[in-house]
This record gives sequence, structure tokens and C-alpha cells, in this order.
Amino acid sequence: MNKSMRMLLVSILAISMFLVGCSGKTNTATEGENGSASEGGSKKDTLVFARGGDSTSLDPITTTEGETFKVTENIFETLLEYGEQDTTIHPGLAEEWKVSPDNLTYTFKLREGVKFHDGTDFNADAVVYNFERWMNGDADKFPYYTMFGGFKGEEGHVIKEVKAVDEHTVEFVLNRPQAPFLKNLAMSPFGIASPEAVEEQGDNFRSNPVGTGPFKFVEWKQNDRIVLEKNQEYWQDGLPKLNKIIFRVIPENTARLNALSNGEIDLMDGLNNSDEASVTGNSSLQVIERPSMNVGYIGFTVNRKPFDNKLVRQALSHAIDKKSIIDSFYGGKADAAINPMPPSIEGYNESIEDYPYDLEKAKELLAEAGYEDGFEMDLWAMPVARPYMPEGMKVAEVIQESFSKIGVKANIQSVDWATYLEKAAKGDFDAYMLGWTGDNGDPDNFLYTLLDKDSIGSNNYSYYSSDELHDILIEAQTESDQTKRNELYKKAQEIIKEDAPWVPLVHSTPLIAATKDLQGYKPHPTGSEALTHVEFK
Amino acid sequence: MAELAKNAAEMSKVHPEDTASPLKEAWRAFCKNRLALAGLGIVIFFIIIAILAPVIAPYSFKEQELTKRLLAPSSEHWFGTDDFGRDIFSRIVYGARISLWVGFFAVLGSAVLGTILGVIAGYYGRWLDTVISRTFDIMLAFPSILLAIAVVAILGPSLQNALIAIAIINIPNFGRLVRSKVLSVKQEEYIMAARAVGMKDSRILIHHILPNSMTPIIVQSTLAIATAIIEAAALGFLGLGAQAPSPEWGKMLADSKQYLVQAPWTLFFPGLAIMLTVLGFNLMGDGLRDVLDPKMKQ
Repeated sequence: MNKSMRMLLVSILAISMFLVGCSGKTNTATEGENGSASEGGSKKDTLVFARGGDSTSLDPITTTEGETFKVTENIFETLLEYGEQDTTIHPGLAEEWKVSPDNLTYTFKLREGVKFHDGTDFNADAVVYNFERWMNGDADKFPYYTMFGGFKGEEGHVIKEVKAVDEHTVEFVLNRPQAPFLKNLAMSPFGIASPEAVEEQGDNFRSNPVGTGPFKFVEWKQNDRIVLEKNQEYWQDGLPKLNKIIFRVIPENTARLNALSNGEIDLMDGLNNSDEASVTGNSSLQVIERPSMNVGYIGFTVNRKPFDNKLVRQALSHAIDKKSIIDSFYGGKADAAINPMPPSIEGYNESIEDYPYDLEKAKELLAEAGYEDGFEMDLWAMPVARPYMPEGMKVAEVIQESFSKIGVKANIQSVDWATYLEKAAKGDFDAYMLGWTGDNGDPDNFLYTLLDKDSIGSNNYSYYSSDELHDILIEAQTESDQTKRNELYKKAQEIIKEDAPWVPLVHSTPLIAATKDLQGYKPHPTGSEALTHVEFK
Repeated sequence: MAELAKNAAEMSKVHPEDTASPLKEAWRAFCKNRLALAGLGIVIFFIIIAILAPVIAPYSFKEQELTKRLLAPSSEHWFGTDDFGRDIFSRIVYGARISLWVGFFAVLGSAVLGTILGVIAGYYGRWLDTVISRTFDIMLAFPSILLAIAVVAILGPSLQNALIAIAIINIPNFGRLVRSKVLSVKQEEYIMAARAVGMKDSRILIHHILPNSMTPIIVQSTLAIATAIIEAAALGFLGLGAQAPSPEWGKMLADSKQYLVQAPWTLFFPGLAIMLTVLGFNLMGDGLRDVLDPKMKQ
């Protein structure tokens, strides 16, 4: 026994030595990091940021996926920027802008003296080049460009023309007014890329990005790490504060937290609510909250029986105890959702009252609908942790139990994430759990994107179709008077509340954990932000 | 253990009146094996718990009380509560029903099918034997849990399908065992005699071969129940067995694994329950083999 134990120890030692040998490269990298840290005094200037998944591309316009934007926000800049932790509009690469009275012409005065990482000048021609590139693509190549209503030549396309007036002035001419036009321009996918690099790299640009941002791209090892280094020529003096950022991939939430406690990483997103206490209890760590701009919900596929009956949907809305769910599985760090969009967004209808948790009322409504004995249904729960729903399965179990009290037998189902989304889009589910994180802080990005009849087949998984709602949402898109727009959206929320195609569950506050000496990190509600002001104490 | 059984067998030789009833003799030998008795005790204990679950369990196994989640063991909740505020003791008590039910019926299914196939392969031989034995070989070439996962993937995840999957993967174990036993019994003189007097195949099979091949099946069944319970728990852990809110032990483990540090009792008790039942069946099975296997008796 003793002998075999010794053999075991020896072989473990041998294996670990072998492994250390294998990772020699990473080791030298770490030494390099330490070296640079000592050069700049005692201050640490390399940040290791770990997250759950790798980026799919580093050319932000080619994807809609959030892990990409977390990185590209640091490499690329947009004409306009959002506020530090909100979606108000601020100057970015454009210093100032003018809007014509008919809301059809936008003139941008560009910042002077800005250079791309490859040394070429940022100017009006570069902006025109980027927009020409995007509008001549299609939804497969540049999916988020559909924010501008479609592509060149398509009927809905909002942008008629982008032209360079002079070296530092760009003019956008629109086909029709688009109320959230400026907010759209600030979205991460519309970062301005170096035309020369795009031409030179072709398809490889997605793995060799060149922008004007605070950090330059260094290397990308798929599913392992992305390394960025400081852009010495950055146009804002004294920024960025870090010298180097390493984005690492650690899929498991708890494994990532372990890496943080061990000091392997400095910052992680996707902290489980149930792990929050262990972070706050650790004197060398801190919890940072991302401002909430999302909604987690249960959707009913309204063209399937018995969910085609409004009374059934309302009955089930009465049968979910949102407060208990939030207390138990969000650590109390979420707001019960009443409307399909979060209260932080303009146009939110404060006067709508939620369906109270009331099982008697629910039974009454079921009886009225002709289901006094209840029915059996499938409740689909997402298999993965999402920012708006870290523990979908558990929440589903709570709902299953509440439903059983009004005679509705819910069978919890799940399937891998890609298939889940595919089946949801096809309308294969009776009821399903999903959520949405806002892209630009506009109500259109929630109500129209998720519940308009135009969105059936893409993001309207409930197959909810209301002509009345559609007319209002389209009117709101072209309306430029913000007060009138807000009124329209408030009306829209009333219609949705009455029809109850969803039970909005929560607006969650995603948690981030970091080492104590990290400062200046301000998470943005859209889910991605540049790390320009981050530094170590 | 073998020693004990041997002693017992020798002792029984000394008392010629005992040899009249082999069953009695086996029982006596079994009683001498303390570990086997302990195993039997554990098994009976869990069977009683399973039968009397509604009487024993102080709470419902599915009623949630979210204000009382993750409470440590106390006089009110003996084993604490899980993340839905459900009483873990009550869930374990009801879970005994599920595990024993899966264990017994999965093994019953595979024992019946395995015996039929084994007898056919062993008695008729030739191409039937080749087909059946090679199929068994193929099935045994897969890691059993992988095969079970494949079966559940085809049938869809549920407790019943997990039971079917476990039954299927255990068929070859029984089949092979019975086949080899039949092969040796077939050569016995009394079988030749039966055949010589013109007895029909079916009669020989039912009246002579099957009864004489029974002991290894009984031993194998007891041991197989232990594996079946583990396999059911493994499938439940992977989300392929019992579905929420069922208090299946493996599923209870899976549902609580994130609370390992925060609330270890949510994992400790279901784990202990699995361990104890499996231990019980294994000890009992070993004891049975010692007393029933003629090779050990000599």
C-alpha cells in the first residue's frame, strides 16, 4: 500500500513536470508580465480578464455575440459613445454633430489627429469606406447592420448615402427618419476599422483587427486567450492606464472564481449569485455590479393550445411568485419585471401594475377559460447560465411547483443551447424561458425586436401577433419627438400586458468579481465596455 | 468469507440430518456470515423505509418553502433543507422508493431476458449461439454507462426510460452466465437420461436445466441491483434519469453540487443513502455467493 502510494506520488510529480514543460511558453509570458510591472515602478499594469466563452470574431460587425464586443470595444471606437454607465449619447470619434430639421441629414464633425493602429489616418473617407463596406453586405456577413433597416437596395434601408464633405466632415442622408439613429451609431458593432487593413487582410481581418481604440491587438489563441497591448499613440492623453490586457476563457463559473481567488486572474464576469457571499467574505476580492438593462421571461407560444387563450396566459401570470424566485436564485439582486423592457429605458410605463401572485385568481381564470381541471404542458428551461437567468433550471422548478398548485402539470424540458434557440424560433415550445440584454437602450430594441409580428421567426419566439401593437411600434420608429414616442411605447406596453404573451420575470443585475486593488472599472449595461480607465492601486 | 462458508459446509457434513434441505443449510451458513447479515439488514431497512415512506417522512418531498432554503440539519429538519426549502430527510425517504424500484425492476427485466437468451444460446448452440453471444460481446465492448446514455438519448430522458436502459445494458451479464451454466448442465448424465427417454426440449429446459442454473442467477441479481442503483443515480446526476421534482438520489446530488461549500448536507445525505444501499446489496450478494456457489462449497 505504502509503496503504491509512493509510486502514485512519483508519477504525479513526473506528470506535472511534463505539463510544466509543455506550458513553457505561457510561463515566459507571465515572467514578461512581471518584468514590465517592475519596470513601471511597483505598479501592476497587466490585467487578466477571464470570461465564460471565447470571442467568435474580432471584427465586431461580423457577429451579434457579446463575448466579441467585450474585446473589440477596446480595439475599435464608434462615431458616438454611450455614457459611462448609461446609453445617453456622447462624442466619440465624432466631436460634434448637427441634425437637419426634417431629421433626414446628420452631419458629423470628426476628431482630428486620430490615427489607426497601423499608422494610417482616421478621416471622413475611412468612415465612408466602413459604411459602404457594411451596407453592401448581407445579413449573414454583417448581421447587426440590420439595425439600419436592411442593406443597400432593400426597401427598409434607412441610410440613403454617406458622403465625405471634407477631410473631417461626414454627412449621412437618410431615406426616412429613424428615431434611434444616433443610439444605433454608438453600438459596439459599428466600430470604425482601418480601410487599409481591411483591404489588405480581407477575410483575415476578423482575426487581425485594426482600429483606433485604446488597445492594439497582439495575439489570439482560440479558446484560450486574446492579448491586447496599450496603444501608445492613443488620442486621449494619459490613457489607457493599463499596459496590457489578457482575455482568458474559463468556461465554468466556479472554476473561474477559483482562478480569481488563486490570483491567476484579476477580473471575471458571470459570478453566480450563490457565490457572492464567498467573494465579499474574501478581503482581497470585490464584487462589482453591472447596471441592469435586461429582461428574463417566460414566453408562451400563442399559436399552440391552450396558450392561444388569453385567459390561460393571464391565469399563469398570476401563478408565479417572482419575489421568492428573486430572493432565492438572484440573491435578492434583481427587480421583478412587469413590462417586457427594464425601467431604466425611456418610455417605460410606470403606471402598469403587475399580475399579483394569486393562486385563487389564477384558478378562477383557468375555470373561466374552460380548464377548471388544469392541463399538462412542457416548460422549456435554458441549459446554460445567462446574465438575466443564472440558474434557469432552478427557476423552472419553482414555477413547476406553483403551477402544480393550480392543477397545471408542467414537465421541465431542456436541450443544448443552440438547438434550444433554434426550436424556440420555430415555435416548437409550449412555454419557454428566455431573456434579452438591450443593445442600445432604446425601447424599440425590446418591444419591436421581441414582440412585433415582423419579428416572428427571428426574436419573437412567442409568435405573438397584434396588428394594433404593430401599428404603434412602426409609428414610434419614425416619430422623432421623444415625448410622443414615449407615449406610443407606453401604450404598447399596455397592450402587451393585457395580451400577456410573456410573463416578464426579472431584470437582473449581473455580477462581476475582481481583485480588491483593481479600480476604474465601470461595467456598461449593454454588456461590453472599453477598459480605458482601469488600473491597479 | 470463503473460509466461513467452507467451515459451515464442513460442519454441515458432520450433521447428516441437515443435508436433507439444501436451502436450510444455505440459510444457516448465511447466518454465520456476519457481514452478509449486516448487508441483509441494511437492505431490509431500506425496503421498510421505502414501503412506509408516507408514514416516516415528516414533510412532502415536493412542497417548496423558499423562505427556508439551505437550512442546516436541526431538530425540525433532521437532514437540513435543500435550495428549494424542501426537507432533505423526507426526500431521501421517498427517494428510497425510486432507487429500490429501479434496482429491482431493471434487474428483473435483464435477468428474465438474459436467462431466456442464455438458455437458448447454451442449449441449442450452433448459429443461434453465435448470434446471441456475439451480440453480447458487442454490448459488453461499450462502457456500460455510455450504452445507457445512448439508450436514454434515443428514448428520451425519464425515470422509466432510465430503468429500461439499465435493464438493457445488464442483459449480457446474465446471458453469458446462464449460457455457460447451461453448457455444463447440458452434459450431465441426468439430462442425457431425460433425453434418452424421449423428453421434449421444452420440458428438459423448464424442469431440469433452469432449476439447476438458478443459483448463479440469484447471486448475480443481488449484485446487479447494487450496480443498477448506482447506474440510475449516475443517469439522474447527468439529468437523463428522474426528472424534477422527483427526489431521486443522483438527481439530488446533481441539483446541489454548487452548494458543496455553502451547504454540504445537501450532498452528504443523498450520497450516504446511495452508498449504504449499494453496500447493503453488495454484502448480501457476496454472502449469497459464498453459500450458494458450489465451487466455494467444494
